[in-house]
Amino acid sequence: MKKKSLLALIIGEWNTKTIVAVAIGAALFGVLMVYGGVQVFTNTKLTTAMLIPVIVGALFGPVPALVACGVGNVLADLIGGWGFWFDWSIGNAVLGFFVGLLPVYGARIDEGVFTVKHAVIFAIIAVLANALAFGVITPIFTVLFYGGELTITFMQSLTGGASNVLVLTLLGIPLLFLLAKRYGGSKNLTKE
Amino acid sequence: MKNPVIEFHDFGFRYASQSEPTLHGINLTIFEGEKVLILGPSGSGKSTLANCINGLIPFSFKGESTGEVKVAGMDTRHAGIFSLSKHVGTVLQDSDAQFVALSVGEDIAFALENQAVKRSMMIPQVIAAASIVGMQDFLNHVPYALSGGQKQKVSLAGVLHEHVDIVLFDEPLASLDPKAGMHAVELIDDIHSQGKTVVIIEHRLEDVLHREVDRILVMDEGRIVFDGDADTLLCGKLLPEIGIREPLFITQMHHAGCVLHADDHPSSVTRFNLDPYRDSLLNFIQTEIQPKAHYPGEVLIEATNVRFSYDTQEAIKNISFQVRKGEKIAFIGKNGAGKSTMAKLLCGIVRPDHGSITYQKTDLKTWSIREIGEKIGFVMQNPNQMLVKNIIKEEVAFALTLRNLPQSEIDERVQRALTVCGLWPMRNWPVSAVSYGQRKRITVAAMLALDTEVLILDEPTAGQDYRHYTEIMDFLDDLNRQTGITIIFITHDMHLAIEYTDRAIVFADGEKIADDLVVEVLSDNEIIEKANLKQTSLYTLALRLGLPAQTLVDHFIGHEREVKIHE
Amino acid sequence: MSKRIFINIVPGKTFLHRLSGKTKVGLFIVCIVYTIMSFDLRLLAPLMFLSLIAIVSLKPDWKVIIVLFIAIFLMNFFNIFLYWVVKPNIGSEWTGGTSTILYSFSSYYFVSLETLWYLLVRLFKMLTSFAVSMAFILSITPSELASGLHGLGVPYKICTVVSLAFRYIPDISRDYENIKVSMQARGVEMDLRKTPILKRLKQTIYILFPLIITSFDRIGNIANALDLRGYGLKKDRTYYAEVEPTMMDRFFRWSTLALFIFCLAWIVSRNIWEPATKMWFPFEV
Ligand SMILES: Nc1ncnc2c1ncn2[C@@H]1O[C@H](COP(=O)(O)OP(=O)(O)OP(=O)(O)O)[C@@H](O)[C@H]1O
Ligand SMILES: Nc1ncnc2c1ncn2[C@@H]1O[C@H](COP(=O)(O)OP(=O)(O)OP(=O)(O)O)[C@@H](O)[C@H]1O
Ligand SMILES: [Mg+2]
Ligand SMILES: [Mg+2]
Repeated sequence: MKKKSLLALIIGEWNTKTIVAVAIGAALFGVLMVYGGVQVFTNTKLTTAMLIPVIVGALFGPVPALVACGVGNVLADLIGGWGFWFDWSIGNAVLGFFVGLLPVYGARIDEGVFTVKHAVIFAIIAVLANALAFGVITPIFTVLFYGGELTITFMQSLTGGASNVLVLTLLGIPLLFLLAKRYGGSKNLTKE
Repeated sequence: MKNPVIEFHDFGFRYASQSEPTLHGINLTIFEGEKVLILGPSGSGKSTLANCINGLIPFSFKGESTGEVKVAGMDTRHAGIFSLSKHVGTVLQDSDAQFVALSVGEDIAFALENQAVKRSMMIPQVIAAASIVGMQDFLNHVPYALSGGQKQKVSLAGVLHEHVDIVLFDEPLASLDPKAGMHAVELIDDIHSQGKTVVIIEHRLEDVLHREVDRILVMDEGRIVFDGDADTLLCGKLLPEIGIREPLFITQMHHAGCVLHADDHPSSVTRFNLDPYRDSLLNFIQTEIQPKAHYPGEVLIEATNVRFSYDTQEAIKNISFQVRKGEKIAFIGKNGAGKSTMAKLLCGIVRPDHGSITYQKTDLKTWSIREIGEKIGFVMQNPNQMLVKNIIKEEVAFALTLRNLPQSEIDERVQRALTVCGLWPMRNWPVSAVSYGQRKRITVAAMLALDTEVLILDEPTAGQDYRHYTEIMDFLDDLNRQTGITIIFITHDMHLAIEYTDRAIVFADGEKIADDLVVEVLSDNEIIEKANLKQTSLYTLALRLGLPAQTLVDHFIGHEREVKIHE
Repeated sequence: MSKRIFINIVPGKTFLHRLSGKTKVGLFIVCIVYTIMSFDLRLLAPLMFLSLIAIVSLKPDWKVIIVLFIAIFLMNFFNIFLYWVVKPNIGSEWTGGTSTILYSFSSYYFVSLETLWYLLVRLFKMLTSFAVSMAFILSITPSELASGLHGLGVPYKICTVVSLAFRYIPDISRDYENIKVSMQARGVEMDLRKTPILKRLKQTIYILFPLIITSFDRIGNIANALDLRGYGLKKDRTYYAEVEPTMMDRFFRWSTLALFIFCLAWIVSRNIWEPATKMWFPFEV
């Protein structure tokens, strides 16, 4: 196994497999965004869609995760029919990048490597990235695009961010362990 | 001698996740313009071999190979999949995966789009290709509104206009109705006569032999165990030994004690020189046979005036029928006729728009899918849509665990079901590491383990080899005799329907056009025509001998039953 | 999960439907920039009007549209109501500092003309943005979206992501249904009539995990199918879905260009060169 440079890990290998993975990820993201959540506040949902960039990131790297998230969000707007809100798409894409950083800090799900240490790093990043994406980036764009009231925008962002953190840690971490076991488990198969 | 286009030298391959190689010591040369058929039991490595030719191995599947493969003079390890794709076109076994675009027209155009062909030049080519497979009226259809067989036709059309010189077909007939299957075979033959090298992987030997093939390869456990012409293969005993179904009329000759000679052309039922064998066959039908016993019980399921539409089209048009306890029924008919939809209606997955379905006089409307599921087990057409667990054993145990059965009982039932389906040695494997046919068998095993009162199997034998499917079928037959389980098969295999079922319900374009004994149905030319069916080769044989077809079929089945009882 | 998705997959027959993908995508992007760039009712109102005409001409299923429209309206109305609760004189900052009080509840809570104006314009802007997206969504098919993006210079590999994603959305919804059905048939009760809501939520997760796993498992197969048919063979590709431009397309493309130049001029002069601190306010004293 040759060591890949940091940059290569971040950008990912854009071969056909990656393209398909990003597409499937975006499709899942879109579907879950529309149907797989519960409304918690105006404009914000407790959605399971955020699990998708985690997996795309774990298998293919953060930039593919970002694209899957961004495109997925646009798709959700298309199939949901509620119009485009690019401020949120940008926030989601940024978040996708950060939760997809897994291979960069050594979690290799496709080889079955995911330890408690990785889980802790993952949880910390999830919190920080949500703070950045929805505490800074989305509000900036909301105000820029549509004008608005910072307190309200922040409140929306905070509930959105908090529910994301909840989904990412409570569902994301078990899912990562499960996937690692799955990919790591299929080695040396023999007929018994 | 022609140029070799595919060459294997001492080739072996092991998937990265396997501890044993899947292919061993393959030595094989295929020449330009040849038409080669690859036969072999499910899981024997046929698809793996095909993937070595089109470059997916080693490009996409990781593993360790020994020896070398050369395609069109290039070593596949260095050539890369793109240079190979200019020479090799593949129709994948999994027609769901093969369909990558958003509409039929677009999917047929996909290869042309990649070659950056101008749209104005693309359209006529797409229409031409679609007309060849009879899908020209479906160009705007989306993939999820097509039936299994219609999808397969689209994938055939997709490679028609590619300018490749080698075409690989991985089980192109698996879910086609008999007539469409015949057309597909003719189509493949036409492609071949344009000078292309054609490699076909198929379990339906008899159907492929509808048109001549130059050479047959038989694989077993990752090795090539036969390489020669069809006539020689059929005269030998190899096929039954490794569990592959011979053409029916050949089996018939063997039953009658004939020793076949390659010179008589046994590979074609129409050209076969029958003179030397006539007497033994006439003797054969003189023997006494036991008539098939058949005691239907009370009415179990009753469908009355059922109608059902998907968004745009009516799939079931006013269908009524009854199923009695302990019956074995076949749903047969054209691709897209509504067979799978009817099965879904019986299981409550979709509900009738009009009319009613009752189970022992209770309207199914009042039951949830789970409650229906306790009575009726359903094996879906596409195995990928049923698998929810990671490990084979867990998949089969899943429903049993939910029903809170004691662990010992679960273990016992799982073992029995997996053994019948030939998967017990692989029980701890992940579902993703087995072949397509094996995956289908996992879903059958999962339903077998449930012991429901009714079992519906949607094309249980598609993509299965003879040994595995007879094992499953015989098991179901025994079960039917012992416990009185009611079984509904959806199938395109007419002989299977004759041999294992009491009655057939024939579908055509959403309507029920017949409901009778299978042999009766098959003797009515109008029904055959309307429902795209085909008589088995036993009929052709009987016709050529001037014998009543019915008698020959009865003796054939009677003989098979006796042989089984003696085993 | 509902089986119906909003976007139409089969090409429609009206006049807007028949435009080429490139025209539609280009026009849409410029219109979105146009709605975002200003807070000026004089700019927004005509676009709203045109979008409504476009929607009508597309002959949509009005029942669905009206429900959505009401939902979006209520959501945004609630939003601006919150703005008012948090900052009753929010309008003054945008209209030039004055506040003409129309009605006051207390010394802090009052309704001013400026705030009312600001909130209404904001609501109108949201609704315009919604109407534009709606017209776009109703007029385009996913294949046209992908080919249109490509026509505007987006690398085709990204366009493939879009079209493949659409290709698999119905499959994913169906997988979801099938996993659900196959779990139900095998003993998990999920019938709406027979399970309490909390239990249903937990069961959603039981379906979700296999759904995610089976979806990702098929990546390999799909990538193989693409590779085998020469995907990525050349630097560029053509699109079956991209129809040849007609007179109408040319007309729309020129209009788009004109609008784009106008937007550029506006953004440079009003948003960058000399950022306007005020919105257009007709009742200025
Ligand atoms: N992706 C994979 N990873 C690991 N093992 C695999 C993989 N695909 C196939 N195998 C193994 O290789 C063996 C042969 O598989 P292959 O798909 O070539 O069979 P096949 O002859 O085409 O069978 P079928 O008729 O059922 O399609 C299988 O038993 C399976 O265990
Ligand atoms: N989910 C769906 N949405 C819309 N139309 C569908 C859907 N599923 C099937 N159809 C259409 O309904 C008709 C009946 O399909 P069905 O799957 O029942 O056929 P079938 O008899 O099982 O065919 P096959 O032998 O090819 O499997 C077909 O014309 C098909 O195009
Ligand atoms: Mg195979
Ligand atoms: Mg079917």
